[in-house]
Amino acid sequence: MDEVRTAILDPMIGWIVLAAFSVLWILLGWWFGRDSEDLEGFMLAGRRVGLALGVATAMATWVTSNTTMAAPQLALQLGLWGMIGYSLGAVGLILFAPLARRIRSLMPGGFTSGDFVRLRYGTTAWRVFLGISLFYALGWLISMGTAGGVLIHALTGIDYRLGMTVILAICVAYTLLGGLRAVIGTDFLQTVIILVGVVVLAWLAIRRVGFEPMHAAVLAERPALLDLLFPAAIMFLFNNLLFGIGEIFHSNVWWSRAFAFREGVGLPAYLIAGLLWIPIPVVAGFVALGVPALALNVPSADMVGPMVAAELLGQSGAVLVFVVVFAALASSLDSLLAATSDLVLTDLYRGHLRPDATAAELARAARWIVLGLGLLTWLLCLPRVATLAALLHFTGAFVASTIWPIAAGLYWRNASSQGAVLGMLLGTASGLLAYHVIGFYVAALVSAAVSMAVVLIATRIAPDRFEWHELATSSVAAGRSEGGST
Amino acid sequence: MIASIGFLEVLVTGATIVATASPIVLLGLWVRDALRGDLW
Repeated sequence: MDEVRTAILDPMIGWIVLAAFSVLWILLGWWFGRDSEDLEGFMLAGRRVGLALGVATAMATWVTSNTTMAAPQLALQLGLWGMIGYSLGAVGLILFAPLARRIRSLMPGGFTSGDFVRLRYGTTAWRVFLGISLFYALGWLISMGTAGGVLIHALTGIDYRLGMTVILAICVAYTLLGGLRAVIGTDFLQTVIILVGVVVLAWLAIRRVGFEPMHAAVLAERPALLDLLFPAAIMFLFNNLLFGIGEIFHSNVWWSRAFAFREGVGLPAYLIAGLLWIPIPVVAGFVALGVPALALNVPSADMVGPMVAAELLGQSGAVLVFVVVFAALASSLDSLLAATSDLVLTDLYRGHLRPDATAAELARAARWIVLGLGLLTWLLCLPRVATLAALLHFTGAFVASTIWPIAAGLYWRNASSQGAVLGMLLGTASGLLAYHVIGFYVAALVSAAVSMAVVLIATRIAPDRFEWHELATSSVAAGRSEGGST
Repeated sequence: MIASIGFLEVLVTGATIVATASPIVLLGLWVRDALRGDLW
């Protein structure tokens, strides 16, 4: 990539912004998490998170680099339906609201989504689920680490590897210092920064380009982007809807928050967060429709957002985009680091390797796992292997297969273990097949449909008789319970 | 079926107005929780 042609900010300005916000996030992370010494405090913020912080952390985590950078990319590739389809990602948050309430009431002492699958469906389903969940988490981490490096390079010319290293190191540092309290505390400020930044950019873009020139240029050069019957885009819309639901229903990022929120907060927090999230991809994405009007040469599709904003708004706009995407990256990376390390700690380390580990040993291991996960992500991000959207949609085949096993397992006493295992395996396989044979925009759709059919048929043919109290009695905190198996 | 300028304008302006209100809602909730001692 040609740095001279694409860099908008002076590298020195880039380093100053990076340094200033790095210090801010690390200090805040330490301050918020200063009382998180024990395992429950470190992993779940003491289970007392209130509504304001709950809404903000759900919003901030779901506004990722994929929203701020891939939304413009999708608008450029799929037009109006690209950004509207991305907005439907909010449905996942909204539908998770009642699930969060049920999770909190069924598993008041629960720690991870893996806990639930193990207790509800048994060891085989647990292992299949862990495979899917950890693969997805790693994909998301790589996607965001890559986005960090790409953004810094696009805006400042700073080497991709250096930028990616700095962003990862900062998130690892403050997650290590304060655990989930640090993550949730910084998320509040990051959400406000993201929202203010995105809104300022949108209003300025509306004034500087205007709807008429934007519409006319797109109509002349790329009319498909305005086509309301663009078939691939409509498929993408439904696919993204299911992808978002699958991501949220299975991922420990959202489950750990359901456990961390104080009683009665989960439902309103996820509901409000979902409603406030809906407009963000449209606001962040529509600037890409200005590309034809601006006659901009975009060298890489996933750089279109920062490039258009910098082209429109100059140096101060470039700094603003930098700050917004840095906040979006940090707010998601820290959440994912914390939640994935919880999963590794509880379900792999304690569940498979050290079932008798004490709480003190687990608290120490939690910090080493955060560090190790950060290092692994850094290694996998070193070669820039995939565009953000490609990586994102590849994992869609995996996560969409978990929607029905999770939802049915939470509400249906007779949802069976066999149905869950087969649903996840066959759903993933068919989703991957569709991804390669048809296209990325149907992977989650096919995966969710096959998984649904399998779960429904299995529940009908061989129903289970699960006792809900097993979730409550067996899911007592790691290090305080009697063991790790069902 | 091509989207009109009006459709684009309503979609983007509406989304931007809602997004503008979001930080205000968040700060309002924060003040409410802080006054009740419910932040953490």
